[in-house]
Amino acid sequence: VNLVGDYFRELYRAALAGWNRFWFTPSDVATLAMVRIFAGAMLLYTHAVWTIGLDDFFGANSWISPEAARALQPDDNFVWSYFWLIRSPAALWAAHIAALVVFALLTVGLFTRFMSVLAFLISVAYVNRVPSAQFGLDQINVMLAMYLMIGPSGAAYSLDRLWARRRQGRGGQIAPPSVSANLAIRLIQVHMCVIYFFAGIAKLQGETWWMGDALWGAVANLEYQTLDVTWLAKWPILLALITHLTVFWEMSFCVLVWPRLTRPLVLALAVPLHLGIAFCMGMITFGLVMLIGCLSFVSPALVRRLIERRGESLDAAAGQGRAGADKLAETLPLTALASRKQRDARFAAPRKPGG
Amino acid sequence: MSTPARTSGPAAAEPAQGRGWRPAVRALVSVAILWHLAAVVLAPLSMPSTILGDHLRPVFQPYLSATYLDHGYKFFAPDPGPSHLIKYELTMADGSKQKGVLPDPVEDRPRLFYHRHFMLSEFINNLPPELPPPPSRPGEPMPELDWVKLKPSLVQRQFSLSYANHLLKKFGASSVTLVLEEHLIPPPERVAEGQPLNHSSMYRQRTLGTFTGERP
Repeated sequence: VNLVGDYFRELYRAALAGWNRFWFTPSDVATLAMVRIFAGAMLLYTHAVWTIGLDDFFGANSWISPEAARALQPDDNFVWSYFWLIRSPAALWAAHIAALVVFALLTVGLFTRFMSVLAFLISVAYVNRVPSAQFGLDQINVMLAMYLMIGPSGAAYSLDRLWARRRQGRGGQIAPPSVSANLAIRLIQVHMCVIYFFAGIAKLQGETWWMGDALWGAVANLEYQTLDVTWLAKWPILLALITHLTVFWEMSFCVLVWPRLTRPLVLALAVPLHLGIAFCMGMITFGLVMLIGCLSFVSPALVRRLIERRGESLDAAAGQGRAGADKLAETLPLTALASRKQRDARFAAPRKPGG
Repeated sequence: MSTPARTSGPAAAEPAQGRGWRPAVRALVSVAILWHLAAVVLAPLSMPSTILGDHLRPVFQPYLSATYLDHGYKFFAPDPGPSHLIKYELTMADGSKQKGVLPDPVEDRPRLFYHRHFMLSEFINNLPPELPPPPSRPGEPMPELDWVKLKPSLVQRQFSLSYANHLLKKFGASSVTLVLEEHLIPPPERVAEGQPLNHSSMYRQRTLGTFTGERP
């Protein structure tokens, strides 16, 4: 009895500690800031395209009348959009331009927290007004906008940060690690796992995904096709291999993306998969927005190494204390394979005074 | 028993001193995380219907709807199928005719704009059609559905009317006929033998209706 009790006590302690480490460890804001830039740009582009057909889709005589849109979910009063209240063309254009300004400000990171809340509300309002014109792109757009509200995504690579640094007169300092930045990134990561898992298991309900010719159904669809790869018709084994690999990759993403050794491989495979969708099926925005979601798995240290020319991020982090530096080092899944020794040497080096 | 093996990410590090959240805040946020993740998982779990999903859905539906999280994430599943277009023929006041198609690869640019129009036609097809009455004798199989002979359901008629009204007002036409066209995908063997993807045998149509702007 004691043995069983000890086991459950240990299990509880370990699970609680793991939960707290996973969700509540302060994290460098670099990854979240990078996601903000790309997601903001995607939101801006996606909504800028509506400008071409604003009246056709959102005007008084739009493709989707309010009655038709509401007929979809007649008993659901929680599907909302402020476009229901907009009657005049002038107000419609004013709302649209204001939305584009919000997305632009989110991208460059000005008044970022406020803009991220507005961006989420605006993006939901748009998709709910045009329920029959939306697709996967909109689902990921809104998901990213939602999580950008949670963390301080403007604490790096933003006009907000530039402004703060000038005001403080302490150039070179990076924003301190943040629990809410980690929370936002973790939520994106877990949500991406849910998306891929269900995308994978849903395919198992399909005969063509099981048989191995589903990829043909995608590349031979003329209305989607932007790059003709129907020469694959002569390579059925290759088609089957890519089909099965796609399902396996999607289903295993939620497991294999976490270990340090498999994460780079899993993320690397996301690139040809989503770029293939982007360039062969003409769904460029969808392919790219999925990759933006995948960027949440890139460590902040690697982001800083890629974005910051001086490569001083780790030293700056070390200047904030050993814990911060160690944390950044431990979040290096993509560089760990290549530079483990280099990393050890870097952290073994004398730190700056006050570190 | 030792603590679980570390994987990667911030989970591998100790919280920075003084920067963590208080236990009460963590507990509160933890409840919110659990609620949110339950909703995120429930949405695809109940598309299509499952016992557990159907049971829990009413609890989470307001949250899923308000936050636009109610998705199945079934991209290209269960099978990548044929595509669907809407062909329309407008009759103008002077009796002349104008034809168009949804989506129009020439007019609807950039690609995202084309895709928005493409979704309009796909959406009509994806709405459940009016099903024939169930067999009178118990145990008798449902009759096989013929796509060409399917009749539009109420919600399909509402969306068809909405699209028709848009076209009528945009072009100033007196009536419009909408035809849903399905473009089937030829098997790879036939394409390898030289059949083009747009071979006439790969298309089939059914009329959604002729509209004059009145309610169906």
